[in-house]
Amino acid sequence: MSDKLSKNELSPWPHRFAVSLVCATFPLIWVGGLVTTYDAGMAVPDWPSTYGYNLFLYPWQTWLFGPWDLFIEHGHRLLGALVGLITIGFVWSVWRHDSRRWMRGASLAVLGLVLLQGGLGGARVLMDQRQLAMIHGCVGPAFFGFGVALAVMTSNLWRAGITKPQTTPEMAGKLKRLSLTTLILIYVQLVLGAQVRHIPVTASPGTFRILVFFHLLMAIIVTVHIAQVYRSILRIYGSAPALRLPGYALGGLICIQISLGVQTWVVKYGWPAFLTESDFAAGHTINASSLSQSLTVTAHVAVGSLILAFAVMLYTRAARLFRTETTALGSGALMIGLAT
Amino acid sequence: MELPTRKAMKLSVIRHWFVSAVAVVALAGPMAGCSRNEATFNRNEAYVKNQERLTKETFSAERKADLDEVLSGLFGTPDRPIVPALGDIDVASVMDATKLHFAAGPVGRDERGRARGLYREHCAHCHGVTGDGGGPTALFLNPYPRDYRRGTFKFKSTPRQSKPTHEDLKRILIEGIPDTAMPSFRALPDNEIDALIHYVRYLSIRGESERSLVQYALFELEPADEEANIEEERLFDLTSGNRSDRAAELREYVGAIVQKWLGAEAEATAVAPPSWLANGAELSHEREVELLKHGRDLFYGKVAACVKCHGDSAIGDGQTTDYDDWAKELEPTVPGALDEYLALGRFVFPPRNVRPRNLRMGHYRGGRKPVDIYWRIFNGIDGTPMPALSEVLKQEGEEKIGVTHDDIWALVYYVRSLPYESISQPVAVEAAYQRERQ
Ligand code: HEC
Ligand code: HEC
Repeated sequence: MSDKLSKNELSPWPHRFAVSLVCATFPLIWVGGLVTTYDAGMAVPDWPSTYGYNLFLYPWQTWLFGPWDLFIEHGHRLLGALVGLITIGFVWSVWRHDSRRWMRGASLAVLGLVLLQGGLGGARVLMDQRQLAMIHGCVGPAFFGFGVALAVMTSNLWRAGITKPQTTPEMAGKLKRLSLTTLILIYVQLVLGAQVRHIPVTASPGTFRILVFFHLLMAIIVTVHIAQVYRSILRIYGSAPALRLPGYALGGLICIQISLGVQTWVVKYGWPAFLTESDFAAGHTINASSLSQSLTVTAHVAVGSLILAFAVMLYTRAARLFRTETTALGSGALMIGLAT
Repeated sequence: MELPTRKAMKLSVIRHWFVSAVAVVALAGPMAGCSRNEATFNRNEAYVKNQERLTKETFSAERKADLDEVLSGLFGTPDRPIVPALGDIDVASVMDATKLHFAAGPVGRDERGRARGLYREHCAHCHGVTGDGGGPTALFLNPYPRDYRRGTFKFKSTPRQSKPTHEDLKRILIEGIPDTAMPSFRALPDNEIDALIHYVRYLSIRGESERSLVQYALFELEPADEEANIEEERLFDLTSGNRSDRAAELREYVGAIVQKWLGAEAEATAVAPPSWLANGAELSHEREVELLKHGRDLFYGKVAACVKCHGDSAIGDGQTTDYDDWAKELEPTVPGALDEYLALGRFVFPPRNVRPRNLRMGHYRGGRKPVDIYWRIFNGIDGTPMPALSEVLKQEGEEKIGVTHDDIWALVYYVRSLPYESISQPVAVEAAYQRERQ
């Protein structure tokens, strides 16, 4: 496929839809995180209706002023519906304005994913299966990352192209590979995190211990990878603004994320016993369901997704900037990368 | 082009395999969990083992099945709890069926929009669905989450061996336990706290009944005798004629446990103020210094002997190798025994030493009010080595070895002054302590 896109294809609409999709998905992930934090997943026992009402017709007074768990669960459903509608708009605009065949395919794929995600959410309620909640929690960030990729691929940067940063092909290849590995590692880390978070109360303490161990190990590995990405962007690609933003964001967010992770542990389980001799630990009482506890825990979840989003942004942009001429648009490799 | 070195190649291969392996574990894990749906109560294998070792008999697989059968007949399942029918005993004031329904089961709301599953939402990831302290997070926590099945609770107003009052449990749920993983649930509304307390009692009574039944089976029932060709007497025998007799007998065991809980409310130790504060008297500074000296003498003296455990400078470094009663059941000091217990599986944890409190920190797990400390010193801390001075109580002026009510108050004063006492210059009431009391 050629790079020269006709005027018709340069419509801003697909990009606008993709960006709004990303912007609506981030709060959706927050609210979804709150649903789990407050264990509100079963606050509404039916689906797709809410206590027998159509989703959009549920009395808003009861929603806004009723119980808190019902408020967030129903709010999560409404936001989810909004994201679904934006996705439909995106598909429509792509089919109308974008002639790239793979892009059209991708738009259908994202629609499929949002339907799957909604269905998983519904099945979690209907079957009251916490394991489904966990899978639902893993597909969420994947969808978010997919949205970011679509936003990049419908952007001007992608279509008009920007002057390539000056590097050797080896360096370019290295950065591409490194950012793809980082992306995959981050996703695996999110899945591990979801398992730590959604551990069934019937699970054995040994299982939980293994999960926590892997989650911590992976935190170290991801951090090392992001540090490498950061370093190479700082050193070599300082001149490429398109890579600078996601690179710096990753560096900053991983620091925030690690401190949120530590805080999450402390607000839920307290300081480790070896700190008992220090005054702050001995006087510390955990406060269950306090606002600071639920915000910390949910922030840890949401920032995880944000890190994934920037990793996707970095990788897709790098893939585009350092496209090897032989692999047409690199889209095949991209799709494989995203599917992982 | 620069060729990658062999070392770099190797590293990248290792990295590739590692990533794949972790990805597989991470993605396959959730699938494995899918099958188990209905929550069940775990059997108290550690206690069965403990009693087997004690009686040198075996508790056969049939008996274990019987035990499960009887227990679910009496108490139901985690999703459908039953309040055992115990004749004219007022079970409902200890465990109320409606409140249990509210606290039990999976988290969510029922068809009528009423909340359910409070226990699994707030407690089970630490205390376990069974209330055996075997929730998934348990191994990370020190002290381990409480195993309710012994029916032993630490921080209460009642004597050792007695049950806590409703107020005691409520205080724990609202205040939490500082310096442990036990959270404060002050954010929950009163009716939810109330339901949770009923559910904790339910789990505790169920657990204690299980222990009683294990003993009953081992001590009261005929064991199998292969030589005489006698089959083991069953705990729960559908074919035998005297089933209703047996059922009545088992209910008596449960009834006795419920009675202990019913009695708790009347057993709370009433605490009168010390004589020097009677009739609204004021405490002079000189008298206070005197009292602290007296408290200190008691602390280091032969009778109260707090120093033995809490250490020469009260930082909790005296007797540090002892265990609490939960850990003692695993016989940690008997060579070889512990391995037998740990082999029982995932819900039996390696025992840890219980450490006497560092009293110079000024943080108390059971509450910091003077009366809380009084209760701790007078009644001891049940389930731990911390002894009760009520054992050596004497009346004022009585000629025997012991402590008086006022002595205990002097100890309370002294304990509360410890964070402010300088180790080199004991019993100088310092400004900070003065300020705090005002
Ligand atoms: C984060 C883990 C955690 C959670 C959640 C938790 N607990 Fe605890 N709980 C503990 C630990 C640890 C202890 C033991 C403290 C000790 O031994 O000093 C404990 C002790 C207790 C005790 C015994 C207090 C005593 O005086 O002996 C009760 C009762 C109790 N918890 C009830 C609950 C209830 C009810 C809930 C849910 C509403 C709950 N806990 C949630 C960790 C937890
Ligand atoms: C046999 C050892 C032993 C002796 C003797 C002993 N204690 Fe303790 N004490 C303990 C242990 C162990 C704990 C911690 C129990 C726990 O929370 O698990 C403790 C805890 C305490 C606490 C903390 C209560 C709280 O709410 O946190 C106080 C106060 C205390 N002891 C005071 C005393 C005083 C005063 C004496 C003397 C009368 C004394 N102890 C004698 C072992 C002992």
